[in-house]
Amino acid sequence: MSAPAALSTGLPQNSGFRALAVRLVQGEGAYARRFDNLILALIVLSLMSVGLEAMSALPSWARTALKVEEFIVVAVFALEYALRLIATDNKLGFILSFYGVVDLLAIAPFFLSGLDTRFLRVLRVLRVLRVLKLQRRVLEATVAVRTRELAERNVALEQAQAQLKAELDVARAMQSAILPSAFPARAGCDGSARMTPASTMGGDFYDFIELPDGRIGIVMADVSGKGVPAAFFMAVSRTNLREQAVRFLDPGACLARTNDILCTQNPLDLFVTVFYGILDPITGRLSYANGGHNPPLIARVGGLVEPLDGAAALVLGVMPGVTYPNHAIELQPDDRLVLYTDGVTEAFNPFDEAYGLTRLVAQIRAHRTGTTEALIEQICSSVTDFAGVAPQSDDITLTALKWSPQ
Amino acid sequence: MKVRVETVARTTIVIPEGRLDFGAAANFQVQVEQALASAGQGPAALIIDCAGLEYISSAGLRVFLLAARGAQRSGFSFAVCSLHQPVREVFDLSGFSHVMTVLPDRASALAQLPGGSS
Repeated sequence: MSAPAALSTGLPQNSGFRALAVRLVQGEGAYARRFDNLILALIVLSLMSVGLEAMSALPSWARTALKVEEFIVVAVFALEYALRLIATDNKLGFILSFYGVVDLLAIAPFFLSGLDTRFLRVLRVLRVLRVLKLQRRVLEATVAVRTRELAERNVALEQAQAQLKAELDVARAMQSAILPSAFPARAGCDGSARMTPASTMGGDFYDFIELPDGRIGIVMADVSGKGVPAAFFMAVSRTNLREQAVRFLDPGACLARTNDILCTQNPLDLFVTVFYGILDPITGRLSYANGGHNPPLIARVGGLVEPLDGAAALVLGVMPGVTYPNHAIELQPDDRLVLYTDGVTEAFNPFDEAYGLTRLVAQIRAHRTGTTEALIEQICSSVTDFAGVAPQSDDITLTALKWSPQ
Repeated sequence: MKVRVETVARTTIVIPEGRLDFGAAANFQVQVEQALASAGQGPAALIIDCAGLEYISSAGLRVFLLAARGAQRSGFSFAVCSLHQPVREVFDLSGFSHVMTVLPDRASALAQLPGGSS
């Protein structure tokens, strides 16, 4: 802020004198503290002398002493006022500010009283206003103490936050680490997957499970909610599902058993949507069951992209005893299967529009002939482009499979 | 998201409006729990009227599950009504429309639940 020309001190903004003034009246150093204490002592002294003067029976030497004292006090206060005026950027602002006026009134009586003695008594009363100068000292000291406390608390808070973040990062790394990094190597099969976690820990997961009969279990799942509870339930769900998958070589039976177990290990009433398919790499037959998950999309060689048939049953973890009907589809050579979570279709752009199934289908149709890795890459970048600057609110998880018999 | 609560006879109607995503789910859960706690003794009913609900995430869906469970524990009847198509699809896909009463509008919900008409 620049000062009006008329009020400028005529000194360059960063002159040594101004820097000294700033150090004395705005600084935090030892000189500033000493200057501050001097002013404080003078305020108290002058308030006491105002009281003393009111006493009528005062010897004349005392009156002289008080006059000298008043002269010194006013001189120092005037010096302080000048320093504050020099130190501040906004000079008019300071003059018109509450304490600016108080400071001026605290010295004005001395100078004005010389003009007309009849005003003397009235104006001297104004010296009582020096008590307001005292108030500023107290306020400034209080603010300084509060600021220091706040700074200390902020540091503690930042440390706690950093620790929490570090722990969450570890948890997130562990979460990604338990996801398979590659599709099981099988002649004629190509599979890719990617999970892009949201900033808050999510509960999406995918899995490829090598079954004892040579077939491959394919899982796409999404736990309700976010954060540590969702991540825990994700780990519990994935472990149970894997365990049951090798015992029950039938998708519906595997989901039913997993659901019964999850219902006993679910104190927070979370639930998980699960699509579970079993692919026979020799015949191309995919049998599957669906616990409330978005049906995967199949891209036929001819260009048709459609969701897999079969109504989804209840999500897992809500109530025991649910049956999950089995369905099956025969894949044709070079068909692509795309499994996804709603983080894809419900990625929002800054205008609150969802990416939606139509855009996903269009991407799959356009890129269905390349590798599954390229297909996933294309879909992910299309979702990212669509969302723009809007924050990613949910995990984005995709798996693509290709079956081409040898 | 906004949540309003109305009372008709012995029925508490919770009305979520807007987008019920993860961020809004906690507040919605508090409102539903308060409605259940203040509904008094049975026979009473809890209706969640979704006429103003534009979007629901899985975290939002979970609160409906908690509401159904809470109503069952307290001996209330419970229904969900007036689902718009996108929300209806989420209820159908997740299987929730099979495990809780889903009715087309508030009038039919009030008529069907005990405590709805005094």
